[in-house]
Amino acid sequence: MNDATDARLARAFVRSRQRRPVSLLDRYVSVFMLAIAVAVFGNPVTTAVTGLAGQVDAARMGPGVALVMLALAGFLALGRAAGPVVLPAADASWLLLSGVGRRGLLGRPVRILAVITLAAGALLGLALLTALGAPDQLVWRLLAAVVLGMSASAGGMALAVLGQGSQAWQTWSTVALVAVLAVAVAAAIGPAREPLAAVAAAPAQALGAAAAGALAAAALLVRHAWTALDRIPAGTLMGAATRARHLTTAATQLDPGALTWAAEDDHWRGRRLRSRRWPSLPAPLALAWQDWRRVARRPGRLALMAATTTLPALLTQATGTAPTNLGRGSATESLTGMPDAGSLASAGGGQSAENLAGIAGGPTAENLTGIASGAVAGGGGPMEGVGALVGGLAPAALLIGGALAVAASAVAGARRDADNPALARLAAVGTRAALLARALLPALLAAAWMAAALGWLAAAGAVAGPWWAFGPLAAPALAAGALRMARRPPVDHSLPLIDTPAGAIPTGPVFWAATGPDLALLGCLPTLAALVAQPADPSGHLAAQAVTGLGALAAYAYRQKAR
Amino acid sequence: MLRDLSLAVARGEVVAVVGPNGSGKSTLLRCLAGLVPVSAGSVEVFGAPPVDGPVFWRRVAWAADEPAWYPGLTTREHLELMRAVHGEPRLEVEAALELFGLSARADAPPLNLSTGQRQRLALAAALIRPSELLLLDEPERGLDAAFRERLGALLAGYAAAGGTVVAATHDAALATGARQVFPGNQLTS
Repeated sequence: MNDATDARLARAFVRSRQRRPVSLLDRYVSVFMLAIAVAVFGNPVTTAVTGLAGQVDAARMGPGVALVMLALAGFLALGRAAGPVVLPAADASWLLLSGVGRRGLLGRPVRILAVITLAAGALLGLALLTALGAPDQLVWRLLAAVVLGMSASAGGMALAVLGQGSQAWQTWSTVALVAVLAVAVAAAIGPAREPLAAVAAAPAQALGAAAAGALAAAALLVRHAWTALDRIPAGTLMGAATRARHLTTAATQLDPGALTWAAEDDHWRGRRLRSRRWPSLPAPLALAWQDWRRVARRPGRLALMAATTTLPALLTQATGTAPTNLGRGSATESLTGMPDAGSLASAGGGQSAENLAGIAGGPTAENLTGIASGAVAGGGGPMEGVGALVGGLAPAALLIGGALAVAASAVAGARRDADNPALARLAAVGTRAALLARALLPALLAAAWMAAALGWLAAAGAVAGPWWAFGPLAAPALAAGALRMARRPPVDHSLPLIDTPAGAIPTGPVFWAATGPDLALLGCLPTLAALVAQPADPSGHLAAQAVTGLGALAAYAYRQKAR
Repeated sequence: MLRDLSLAVARGEVVAVVGPNGSGKSTLLRCLAGLVPVSAGSVEVFGAPPVDGPVFWRRVAWAADEPAWYPGLTTREHLELMRAVHGEPRLEVEAALELFGLSARADAPPLNLSTGQRQRLALAAALIRPSELLLLDEPERGLDAAFRERLGALLAGYAAAGGTVVAATHDAALATGARQVFPGNQLTS
């Protein structure tokens, strides 16, 4: 009896006592659901694929490829954080140390990982082709891009699997991740623009050869990873299984808040810190200093936050909603990698002073074009205007959502006091005073993040004028939203279901998810309106934002119990 | 539910609330802390009904829930936080670490401490800050026998300095030196 048979027998034993066998009806339902999915998504996917034919503006190519690379890096990082080989908690408890062969035990999780990785790779390949365009031979280019995407994701994930069993491979996995990020940065800021244009214009045969090479390299890594499954230490698998158990518990109990503490505990467990003297501050600020110290002890997260400030500008550039891409840049300039004023490409390589002065500089005719107005100025009809509005909402949502996420990363103290008020009672600081003191750090982070993101958008030519000021002015509302998120109670499953034509909507999780973002959105309405409408002079919106920002925080603090 | 319970505690007294599980020990403590409203009768602490607010908690130290800690802080920093918030501490941080046997683990996040060490940290945080009344629910939870003895001495010292202690406990040694109250005698289901 080999290892695989051992694991199969153990699983068959568990299954036979766990649930009824799969019936013909179950198989029919599975096939029917698959057919429905094909019928629903087939047409949009076909339309999207046929829409890929044609050249892409060189100014959009870099940001597009950068986003694809960031998505790949994010996918691989997520895989590394999860395991990537994740054994179900029950298997880890009962079978991992029972003498059942390791490779047989890990076979099923690895197959699931392979399916997810290949699906993600195919999507990334499709996205890559969207970014690069297909001037000819669409089918072959599509095939090459999908193979390239699948090879990249499979190769990267194979490295991560190898890294689970060996520190040397873990280093290589990190090197690969850094390399992907470096390509993303190069594509975003300029140096890779010309090579990318050359790749996009290369004959399909050359791309096919490159894809075949990538496939061969990925296959080698996957084979090596498969043989190395036996060497993954049990401790590593147990850790991954514990993380999976937290995730499963949070999902089955519909309590996503539990994940926050699981991730937090996972980070600090086993860490050795060096105590530092507590600063002498008034009581509420001394209490809130805990969040400052916690954030300072996670420099990697701060660096990630700083890096993500470029995402709205990249998205704007990649989707072509920036002024340059709404018909202003000439084709000749774009193809040679020298787009006109206001593009991120020029900001990255040998840019003009006008582009970098977007923050401080006065409004100019070139820079004042908004996302929606740009479409109109470019001669678009009503539908293009609507499209531009939707395109304008995406960066606006990214800006406000991103700043809220950054603020929410710095409210662990408020979350702890809401979950278990033992320390808050020992500290004996009033709730309002403590909340206002705890709002300072998330407000500062949100202000810096949004100001930097708007600065990048200005550098990309999407906005001009003192738009960065929306960051500090919206920050109090974002901090209030983040604190409201941190202090929200668990999901109330007793709330009713609402029947809609698309199915029943459970209001408990919806209300839970909306608690916090609702206040942030309300407090940031002037910023949202300004980002969508792109007024020539945003000073009116800035003044309104100053009022709603402070008002949201003050109202939130005022409504808290006096304790 | 508690009924027909009458209890007056003087300053400097140590009261041990004893009885089997479910006899109402924790309920009595929560009533004293203003966390559970009484449906009949009255509860007064320092001459007024207890209110779950900062003014009350500045005079009362409460160590009754599961030990809590802030992520990203060390054991020593939790005690420094209490010192920084309250200004005039009853104990210096180093002395508290020594007294509660946490010196060797001062730089460890509480997550990495054992259950007993976390309980020691919770008790240290309650005793390092100034207070007039100490409310403890099963303070002996997770503590080894040697430290339980030391805790008895620490509570006696707190009372000798003018503080008042009300502690729900199953520990015979802790209860022996204190005035014992049996809420179970007045318990109704």
